[in-house]
Amino acid sequence: MLDNLPILRLIARLDIKGSNLIKGVHLEGLRVVGDPQVHAAKYYAEGADEIIYMDTVASLYGRNNLIDVVSRATEHVFVPMTVGGGIRSVEDARTLLRAGADKVAINTAAIKNPTLIKELSDVWGSSTIVLSIEAKRVSDKKWEAYTDNGRERTGLDAVEWAQKGAAQGAGEIFVTSVDQEGTKKGFDCELVAEICRAVDVPVVASGGFGSLQHLNDLVTASRPTGVAFADALHYDKFSLKQIRQFCIDSNIPTRQAVSGAEVYK
Amino acid sequence: MPPFPKRRKIDFAKFDSSRADREAKYGLPNSVTFCRRCVTSNQKPISAVEFQHKSDSKKQAIHLDDLEICDACRMTEKKAGINWAERDAQLRELCDKHRSRDGSYDCLVPGSGGKDSFVAAHMLKYKYGMHPLTVTWAPHVYTEWGWRNFQRWIHAGFDNYLCTPNGRVHRLLTRLAVENLFHPFQAFILGQKSLAPKMAVLHQIPLVFYGENEAEYGNPIGDNDSAIRQWKYFSAPEKSSIYLGGTSVKDLTTDFGLEQVDLDPYLPANPADLKSLGIEVHYLGYYMKWHPQSCYYYAVEHGGFEASPERTPGTYSKYNSIDDRIDDFHYYTTFIKYGIGRATYDAAQEIRSGDINRDEGVALVQRFDGEFPTRFADEIFEYLSITEKEFPQAAKMFEQPRIDHAYFNNLADSFRSPHLWSYNDGQWSLRHQVK
Repeated sequence: MLDNLPILRLIARLDIKGSNLIKGVHLEGLRVVGDPQVHAAKYYAEGADEIIYMDTVASLYGRNNLIDVVSRATEHVFVPMTVGGGIRSVEDARTLLRAGADKVAINTAAIKNPTLIKELSDVWGSSTIVLSIEAKRVSDKKWEAYTDNGRERTGLDAVEWAQKGAAQGAGEIFVTSVDQEGTKKGFDCELVAEICRAVDVPVVASGGFGSLQHLNDLVTASRPTGVAFADALHYDKFSLKQIRQFCIDSNIPTRQAVSGAEVYK
Repeated sequence: MPPFPKRRKIDFAKFDSSRADREAKYGLPNSVTFCRRCVTSNQKPISAVEFQHKSDSKKQAIHLDDLEICDACRMTEKKAGINWAERDAQLRELCDKHRSRDGSYDCLVPGSGGKDSFVAAHMLKYKYGMHPLTVTWAPHVYTEWGWRNFQRWIHAGFDNYLCTPNGRVHRLLTRLAVENLFHPFQAFILGQKSLAPKMAVLHQIPLVFYGENEAEYGNPIGDNDSAIRQWKYFSAPEKSSIYLGGTSVKDLTTDFGLEQVDLDPYLPANPADLKSLGIEVHYLGYYMKWHPQSCYYYAVEHGGFEASPERTPGTYSKYNSIDDRIDDFHYYTTFIKYGIGRATYDAAQEIRSGDINRDEGVALVQRFDGEFPTRFADEIFEYLSITEKEFPQAAKMFEQPRIDHAYFNNLADSFRSPHLWSYNDGQWSLRHQVK
């Protein structure tokens, strides 16, 4: 039954603050975990299909300093890199793409100025533009989009916003559940399913992974094209090899490589 | 004419930016300096004895040394040298001395079910083998998430007594605290400080534990050297010397229609009772390294604690002090009176804890400090309105019993200090900001 699913990309998510890899719970209580380079290199070696760097506090602090992290990462990470946080203009996106990012993710700036999605996709094409949505459940099957790392309400319905973003030219929706993020209690499967239903572009689910069963729950409820892991990897609860092996054993289609280094070098 | 006027006169000339002689209210230092390590300023008052707080009380502010480092940051430095294993042994010894073997409670843990009291009670029970009774003094108005966290705390394995004061009395005392002191949180603090010792007397439990020590936030360093909380904060020898909402107990009964029974929950414990029980009030922060962010993680892990669904107005944080709807106003009023809002308190604490650096703290303060707390404003104004129907006698004391935005803003302006604020072209701005 699961054979018809698209290949599921296993993505390592690294939230960055300044020069540090950080992690929170509900995007709060941000704790310094370590050096992002060390972690990224490890996840790459374990076979991550993609690395996503999020300067989740760029908007909170009104800054943008992922450039160094990204250019350093290009030296030892050879899978696609998505970079988000503090991108407010075509120029900001250009700087990051030149530094080595393959895709850019936007949230706060897109909400303030939805035409930015179109401007960016007009320049680089949809496949380079990811709309990142921080969604928090407000009632049954209703989610609100947040900005500033899950701190600021927008009044926008997250599912409608995903639709609008895709229509504007976003080539991928990266959705983080603020409720589940960092809790290790499982994904907000309904949220992911609603967004998958609402848009035709690839959807990546983020927030809540704590056991392999959660992954099963996620792909049973809907068909995201990617899933992001943070807490489980940073605190060494799971390795990407283990997760991939689980997918193979459970007939969840993934790229059948065990080491990124083997494929991309 | 009722004693509380509809509109207070503001002498705007005192706030002109060109004016050199600037009056400093509340006994605050006339020149403003910021700590070089955190973001707090020398205007931050240290803990005071709330039941002696009157409108003309002078504040003692946090001390900054010759290098412009505040006492709270010095305390952090000092703590780096503490032998925590030794402190842990001291705590175990204390617990061994008090641990009950007959099914009775052996310690009392006051708290709200926020992250800090969660950790205190949970550690004492599950790590140190104690049998705590938890007691809670209710917030003015619970937030939904605060109420859920409170329930989660109890369900993590504790008996709890929740003391909810008479809503009308609480509203009136809070209104008076706002009018006299611009201090909407005072009624809560009064009850919070006195409830635990009184419950200890009632249940004959001599050992009381609080979480962290206020000294970490800038009380004199000397306060912190002993774990035992100073009695002055929660007991008073003489009822006639007690003020609630900046109003004497005598006036509250003669002019505001309150009875002795209405005031009892706010009054400090009787020192004689405390003495005969042999009560000891300790801070766990003395015995273990207290890190608020780690408390959040601990409470999430062991109790399913939830952060608030959005940042608190006036700051960036979602995990601390989130259970009372009036809290937003508490920090708004500290911003008006001392130029120090919620983001300053949060950032200063997180800088000291090593969670953020000073540059980040400064950016957060500049962005969020002093933001007007719109989200619960109408509800809080309603709460603070002393209507004739509900308060037949007290309502007569206010020319305008109802509070609205204009009333509140005028009141706020009357509490601004000329040494902190300037007023030009219809705009208030702080004369000094952290950089």
